Amino acid sequence: MTPDRKLRVLVAKPGLDGHDRGARVIAYGLRDAGFEVIYTGLRQSPEQIAREAIQEDVDAVGLSILSGAHMSLTGRVLDLLREQGAEDIPVLVGGLIPDQDREALCELGVAGVFTAGTPISEVADFIQSHAGA
Amino acid sequence: MARSTDELRRAEQRWRDEVVEPRVERFKIPASPVRFYTPDSVEDFDFLEKVGFPGQYPFTAGNHPFEAWRAHAEAGARLGAGGEYGMSSSGRYSGYGTAEDYRDYLLKIQALGSRSGPNVAFDLVTQCGYDSDSPNVVGEVGRVGVAVDSIRDFRTIYEPFTGDLAIDKVASNFTINAPCCVILAMLAVVAEERGAALDRIRGTPQNDILKEFIARGTQIFPPRPSMRLFRDTLVFCRSHFPAMNVNSIGGYHIREAGATRAQDLAFSMANGIAYLQEGVDAGLDVDDFAARFTFNSFGGSMQVYHEIAFQRAARRMWARILKERFSATNPRAMIIRQPITAHIGCTSTTLQRPLNNVARSVVGGMAAAMCGGMPSAYPPFDEPLGLGHSRESLQLSIDATRIMIYEAGMSDVADPWAGSYFMESLTDEIEAEAQEEIGRIEDMGGAVAAIENAYMPRSVARSAYERQRRIEQLEDFVVGVNCFNGERELDLSLERTADEFYDPEHLRTAEERQLVKLAELKRERSERSVSGALGALEIQAKDPDANVMPALIECVKSEATVQEMCDVMRGVFGEAEPIKL
Repeated sequence: MTPDRKLRVLVAKPGLDGHDRGARVIAYGLRDAGFEVIYTGLRQSPEQIAREAIQEDVDAVGLSILSGAHMSLTGRVLDLLREQGAEDIPVLVGGLIPDQDREALCELGVAGVFTAGTPISEVADFIQSHAGA
Repeated sequence: MARSTDELRRAEQRWRDEVVEPRVERFKIPASPVRFYTPDSVEDFDFLEKVGFPGQYPFTAGNHPFEAWRAHAEAGARLGAGGEYGMSSSGRYSGYGTAEDYRDYLLKIQALGSRSGPNVAFDLVTQCGYDSDSPNVVGEVGRVGVAVDSIRDFRTIYEPFTGDLAIDKVASNFTINAPCCVILAMLAVVAEERGAALDRIRGTPQNDILKEFIARGTQIFPPRPSMRLFRDTLVFCRSHFPAMNVNSIGGYHIREAGATRAQDLAFSMANGIAYLQEGVDAGLDVDDFAARFTFNSFGGSMQVYHEIAFQRAARRMWARILKERFSATNPRAMIIRQPITAHIGCTSTTLQRPLNNVARSVVGGMAAAMCGGMPSAYPPFDEPLGLGHSRESLQLSIDATRIMIYEAGMSDVADPWAGSYFMESLTDEIEAEAQEEIGRIEDMGGAVAAIENAYMPRSVARSAYERQRRIEQLEDFVVGVNCFNGERELDLSLERTADEFYDPEHLRTAEERQLVKLAELKRERSERSVSGALGALEIQAKDPDANVMPALIECVKSEATVQEMCDVMRGVFGEAEPIKL
């Protein structure tokens, strides 16, 4: 991490899913690991998430989805970032992601998929190596 | 003759000096890794005050001398091919796709012998008070439950329920919270259409909105108007649906979201107190309405002893709250009526080497048996895989339960730990910890205030983070996750042979099919009666002393949609704010 500027991460809960344990734990963990973390709170639309990512000039976006709606929600966030010329912001997905959807998410343009049991340090290292790369 | 406490303490000190210490030194560890409890651990223990007999105040030893399912357990086994014997009378929690998909699923399980009413999982769209054509719900329709936009969908769900399984002969369950009033209105309308008397309708709506703010996240309105809607459903149920339960209070979701045991217990009790107070303030008799409260379940963990103590403490606390604080006299109003007791909690299952979850769930089942519940090996091992429970995993789960009941005889003794120095001391400890936390919430003004200031939701999130930290620092161990996860460990898999109960292809097309139906509804219904009914709802919602239920019933009959009704109430009550870090 560059010493003069903390990396900024947007942790977001898109869609209607209310399971935010993972999102909040990641948010706290990244904050303790020295990141500047913005947590959106529940039920954010892909439009709100893309807008906040751009306005806050974040270095990475983490989406947490456990409702099974990950394919469509993630796709829309990626499209919106692309449309606004912000495709360089790496998007990470966490939550309940069945194995067969991992690859499909990566094909959509997701930088990394992290499911239950991942140590926060692994997520932190991943963001550091991908942000602003 | 009993020896004196002094004599005991001297003996214990001698044991520590002469037996424990040398062994600790021999193994070169800082302290003994195990504890031992003596009569000194439960000073002034009064058995009748603290424990009592199963089925009597304070219900520490159990709600009943034996549970209903236990009465005929042996007879059930002798019957052999007993279908779903051993499961609770409420059907399996289910719901997916459109109402038609769910109806077909229900018909299929009826053909396999199911005799229970619908136990409905609604999709998030319905739970959050939107319609399937709302722009912000794309991809979520029919996803985690069945999509219900209007009375038409609700009617379809009940199509399989005729004859012996008619709407007034089975018990229905609805996992619905913020729009519970809307779903109850739909139930009243369908019952009426079927010619069923409302006083014969049995069932349980979840109707526990406070825990949604703390953990589950499907709140729509701010906390106070949400409580007003709870009051309206409570009053309506007591006057129109006397055989229905009012709610199903959950600590489960709170713990799953990360709460500690003490937080789970304290927050559930604080929420329960708030619901009881609503009833009392509405002029209802606590002995009557509290007997219609149920609990969904509390949270669980792998710490088997602690979970047994937790259940004992919970029963005692709730009984005391009812008796001492609300002056209840009806014992039925004092018990925690819940289908599940101790369990490991879904968050104890691991994605890594998932078949290990069978062993984990059996630990939870044993804890359940030892605290007065059915020893259900829950959840099925494939819970964390996110694909729904397979029939194979359900079979393993049900058989494990049967083995605990029939082979191990785990359910042949009520409260087997009663009087144990260790268990009584642990029960007291958990109760005291929760009591302290309840005191903190009371000082803030109760559960609603502790949600408005975000105290409860933030405490849960902090605890979740602390647990994660402990796992990462190897202070807590999870087999196959942070230890014993080397390359030589075998990752077992199971051969899948049984058909799915439902067709995954349906899920893919559900949203599209639901949108067609919704458009059709909007074309066919009378816009005039819809707007008339919604206007009347707005007037009732604005009057804090009015009950919204009669107006909602008229809205349902006019074929107004879930979102249309909720939007009227959003306009009057406002919307809940998202809780930040």
